[in-house]
Amino acid sequence: MAKILMKGNEAIAEAALRAGCEAYFGYPITPQTELLEYMSRRMVELGRTFIQAESELAAINMVYGAACAGARAMTSTSSPGFSLMLEGISYIVCSELPAVVVNVMRGGPGLGNILPSQGDYLQMTKGGGHGDYHTIVLAPATLQEAIDLTILAFDLADKYRSVVTIIADGMIGQIMEPVELPEIEPPKRPERPWALTGAKGRERNIITSLYLEGPVLEKVNLRLQETLKEIKANEVRYKEYMLEGAEIVVVAYGTAGRIAQTVAKEAREEGIPAGLFRPITMFPFPYDRLDEVAKSVEHLLVFELNAGQMLEDVRLATRDRVPIHFYGKMGGVVPSPAEVLAEIKKIASPQRGER
Amino acid sequence: MAKGTIVIDEDRCKGCELCTTVCPFDLVHIANHFNAKGYRPSTLVDLEGKCTGCTLCARMCPDVAITVYREGA
Repeated sequence: MAKILMKGNEAIAEAALRAGCEAYFGYPITPQTELLEYMSRRMVELGRTFIQAESELAAINMVYGAACAGARAMTSTSSPGFSLMLEGISYIVCSELPAVVVNVMRGGPGLGNILPSQGDYLQMTKGGGHGDYHTIVLAPATLQEAIDLTILAFDLADKYRSVVTIIADGMIGQIMEPVELPEIEPPKRPERPWALTGAKGRERNIITSLYLEGPVLEKVNLRLQETLKEIKANEVRYKEYMLEGAEIVVVAYGTAGRIAQTVAKEAREEGIPAGLFRPITMFPFPYDRLDEVAKSVEHLLVFELNAGQMLEDVRLATRDRVPIHFYGKMGGVVPSPAEVLAEIKKIASPQRGER
Repeated sequence: MAKGTIVIDEDRCKGCELCTTVCPFDLVHIANHFNAKGYRPSTLVDLEGKCTGCTLCARMCPDVAITVYREGA
């Protein structure tokens, strides 16, 4: 299929409907608005459901309702909106329903600004809402990857009957890149014996997140933990660049990972043996593989558009067995490759002097 | 040298700064104000009338926000 030029937000929207998303609910917020805008046109064209809700709270609860009825449902938002959705996400997870939530992160905290940031990492990967849960978190670094991961998100949501979130940022949402889209498919409805479809000729289904009896809720929790264990065993994804002979490995994801790829290449051109480890699933985090990688390198440089959030997971993965450096920018400031390269040189130079 | 100028549709601009990197005379800059979306749009600063209407900025713009005018063209 021919490549076409698309904006990130629109590419995610088109990928979602090609993955068979049949119900979209959302509330506009920059830098995500084009996603909702695109859906408002395309979903109607295809005779599917689009509703601009009155708030993010309404949108996520509409997703909850549609998911109860067995639809492939999604919503998208940006940081402040994601905070508002957390209550609903926790309910959906407890009810064991599939749903996809896209967060095109912006600078925070507070209303912040509309520039690219990765400040919601901890909120998104550690659960974020109340109760013991995690969602699967997918981090695209290119628009093609955003498309592929959006499609994967729907499949994983169905497979594990859980919420899958996409951790993008203002850069991924706004840039334009040539992409290849899969064929458009009719809405998929895998076998869903649990869905609320009108209990004609069968036992009635009950979907709830309220369990007043302690031991009953404990059982639900144990089942959710079993699912998380399965997710951790099966769904870890990451990409590695130029790790052969690398002494300094940058660990970065999403937009930062994209910048770091350029940086690693430029460092190699200047004779510094640098590489890149880019997690794609932020939950489940590739702890084991990163630990393995860290064994053969001299330094790790964690690079994020925040104050050092994934840094905690990198330290957990490696138990601080190698020196870990951090470089981050906050408030929507995106550093140039040259600025990150300067950090690598700082790490590399004393060591080079010794030789 | 041909004389030209550009008009930037500010509300289409997302402040990506790509146009500011290609102008051969360094005439395109990021403005000090915000547009309706909340981005700082790019703007033409051409006090000496150096713009030739070469169209590089417009061709670079991913959001087709720049219109180029060239004298006599």
